[in-house]
Amino acid sequence: MNGLIAFTKKEFLEQIRSYKAVIMVSVLFLFGMMSPLLAKMMPDIFAQLTVQGISISMPEPTVLDAYGQFFKNMSQMGLIVLLLVFNVILSQEVTRGTLVILLAKGLSRSAVIMSKYLASLILWTVSYVLAAITDYGYTVYLFGSFSLPHLFFSLFCLWLFGAFLLAVLLLASTLASGNYGGLLLTAAVMMLLLIANVFPVSQKWNPVALASDNITLLTNAETFGDMSVTAWTALLLIVLCLILSIIVFRKKKL
Amino acid sequence: MEILKLEHVKKNFGGLPVIQDLSFSVSESSVFGLIGKNGAGKTTTMKMLLGFLKSDAGEIKVCGEKVAYGDTRTNRHVGYLPDVPEFYSYMTPVEYLRLCGEISGQKPRPIRKKTEELLALVGLENSNRKISGFSRGMKQRLGIAQALMNEPRLLICDEPTSALDPVGRKEILDILSIAGKQTAILISTHILSDVERLCDHIGILDDGKLVLQGKLSDIKNSYRHSFLRIALADQDSVAVLAGKLANLPFVSAVEAKENSLTVRLEDMATEGLKILELLLREQVFVLKYEVLEPSLEDVFLEVIQ
Repeated sequence: MNGLIAFTKKEFLEQIRSYKAVIMVSVLFLFGMMSPLLAKMMPDIFAQLTVQGISISMPEPTVLDAYGQFFKNMSQMGLIVLLLVFNVILSQEVTRGTLVILLAKGLSRSAVIMSKYLASLILWTVSYVLAAITDYGYTVYLFGSFSLPHLFFSLFCLWLFGAFLLAVLLLASTLASGNYGGLLLTAAVMMLLLIANVFPVSQKWNPVALASDNITLLTNAETFGDMSVTAWTALLLIVLCLILSIIVFRKKKL
Repeated sequence: MEILKLEHVKKNFGGLPVIQDLSFSVSESSVFGLIGKNGAGKTTTMKMLLGFLKSDAGEIKVCGEKVAYGDTRTNRHVGYLPDVPEFYSYMTPVEYLRLCGEISGQKPRPIRKKTEELLALVGLENSNRKISGFSRGMKQRLGIAQALMNEPRLLICDEPTSALDPVGRKEILDILSIAGKQTAILISTHILSDVERLCDHIGILDDGKLVLQGKLSDIKNSYRHSFLRIALADQDSVAVLAGKLANLPFVSAVEAKENSLTVRLEDMATEGLKILELLLREQVFVLKYEVLEPSLEDVFLEVIQ
């Protein structure tokens, strides 16, 4: 327990001093701020483009368009930033040998895994919540007050997918060697999940839906049931990834 | 009491035996030097002691407790200084030592006190900047401070001086000899003069086996037979005398260099007298007659042959 607390504190210090925290918070904040603005300005942008006398007319943007932008930015660039920022948290310590001294002090390896996950999850949560609040505020400011069904759940789903991604990344980093092995393995897993998502049978159980069907959830309330199954599956997979990470890391040669 | 005990430890890397049947022990308040060439298996041995590598056979015990592979409880008795210690470069020494103290479960107040003491011991008390700006010598000193943070009963140092300049080496040796008064130390090295300064027990590791072990003073005594140096005033008689010495049955080797001769004997006490008799008989003018102290280097080179 001592080790877990001390090492988690160290992780937070690292996030601050190595600018991981600044990057995460500011990039996601930017997405939160830009998304409704971009949705609002889209017709004006297209209006400027008159291509050989053809004028493009677009329908008046709605709140749904604003959230469409937000989910698109977050699920693509946002998650890529998440992966890049947290890619090396474990592998770098193994390759550089910084863990050796602390493990020789009796720090348990499960504490290392749990601290790494906890600290990265907290940073992801803080940046994501800040971005979501900013986005909500700007959407209300630009489009007026609104109400969308399952908005909170839909936002939660994308957050959960981020949490799932972090767990996969951690497991991949314990399995693969080198600084980019973990990232590569995670990318491979995501590819497999995306391919599997083509088959309707497995869609319900595939965590990918958490990051791709957010808008459907806002317009079609019937998907709620399926999505909650997906959320529970993702939660189960997160726990599984963490347990496996600990088992693998405990026997890893350092 | 034995702080560290290895019994018949073996380790192969892909069929290649790195450690073959290694047994030795380190007792309380002794400084044990594990000596060997590069690649003799010193670092492998240390990693097995810390549970970082799995041994293929045998048993390792620290303070009577068995070392397990992976997470091992025995590490709470141990302080470890890797050959090139790596720290979190964004931390200051005080922050790093606090982290080490917290991991070993100490309270804030003792941590502060211990940190002050240790930084003073290693001469880093005034460097409150980030570790990223530290020189190698400073990192090595911080490495000793962190290793002593949990008041270990066994300090394991993997080639603590091999990457340092002469000044840095002297500093590390001084600190280690102070630390050695409170805790048992296992030190691996290939720098023999360091061993002579620090250690009271040694083990010479060659091809994964201990080819020689025991008290340093005993080992040096038992190898005392070796060499006699005779310096002559007249350079011409050197060759003549060398020939006569080589003819003596008990002389195993004679080496002539300028005006001096180095003679190798088995038993200095009786055979030395016979040499003196020969010198008298030949009526040569002797400038110097000297029994050479065997250096650890001689012993080392002899046993790993």
